[in-house]
Amino acid sequence: MENLIIETSTHTPEINFDSEKNVLAIIGESYPENTREFFEPMFTWLDQYLKTIDEQTVTVNVELIYFNSSTAKVLMNFFDTLEEFAEEGANITVNWIYDERNENAVEYGEDFQEDLENVQFNLVRKQIPKE
Amino acid sequence: MIKNLYEFRQELNQKGIFFSFNGPVSVDILIEIGDTLKHKMKLEEASTTTILSVFSIVVEQLQNIHFYSAQKAMKVGSVSAKDEFGLGIIVVGVQDGNYFVLSGNPVANEKIPKLTGKLEKITIMDKKELRKYYKKKLRASSDEDSKGAGLGLIEMARKASEIIEYDFQKIDDNFSFFSLNIIIKRDQ
Repeated sequence: MENLIIETSTHTPEINFDSEKNVLAIIGESYPENTREFFEPMFTWLDQYLKTIDEQTVTVNVELIYFNSSTAKVLMNFFDTLEEFAEEGANITVNWIYDERNENAVEYGEDFQEDLENVQFNLVRKQIPKE
Repeated sequence: MIKNLYEFRQELNQKGIFFSFNGPVSVDILIEIGDTLKHKMKLEEASTTTILSVFSIVVEQLQNIHFYSAQKAMKVGSVSAKDEFGLGIIVVGVQDGNYFVLSGNPVANEKIPKLTGKLEKITIMDKKELRKYYKKKLRASSDEDSKGAGLGLIEMARKASEIIEYDFQKIDDNFSFFSLNIIIKRDQ
């Protein structure tokens, strides 16, 4: 199947889902005007992709510097979908990559982590070199 | 009017307000305001935590105005009501060394009880309770009236370093002016 690539803008993240490498990445900032509409292609793609998954390990990298509250809702639905497939045996790892300089970032990752049993959810602290 | 503008600006300066905007909050304006403030705080060497907290509160407040203000503007060239967006005011400043983000917009009087209920609930919660409540709301399906996830106010209360302040001033029988002030501790 084709990869899903949505390029980044000031207020929407880059979405780069690679079905060959089995690496799905969401990177950047997220406060779209219409959050549901923006993320709709991502969910459509994800559903199709996860049905093709067999033994492969799927790696999901989420690196959001900032996301608004309606994006939080989308992220929860996204992780719930992954959890459903992981429950059926899919091998899914999520890396929640956060900026070590932002004291609040880890808390939001922990809140998502709590609800996931079958998805391997890692909190990954990213060191940012001093400018 | 020409004589008053200087005084008006002086008054803003005296109150520590370094940014103000009053008008229609389109998506483009929202993005520009967010970027401008981020840049300014970086120059002031505020910490990443502080910058992102202030930025997040500015975005949530502007999105509240954009979606919920009772005073609407039309996008250029649009005909449908779904292309409307809200008008409001936002000011950002420094007081006693901390940042504050104060915004306001007209609301229909009939919406006040529900909004007050939400605000009263979160203003008595501590950080731990807010975190739990945020999660609970995240799980619950969003309000029908809510274009965001109904989480914005809780999100702001989580990032605020003091209890959030709000106020309603009656405009007429149909509308009131809703103001919301959020204080964010400035650390480096």
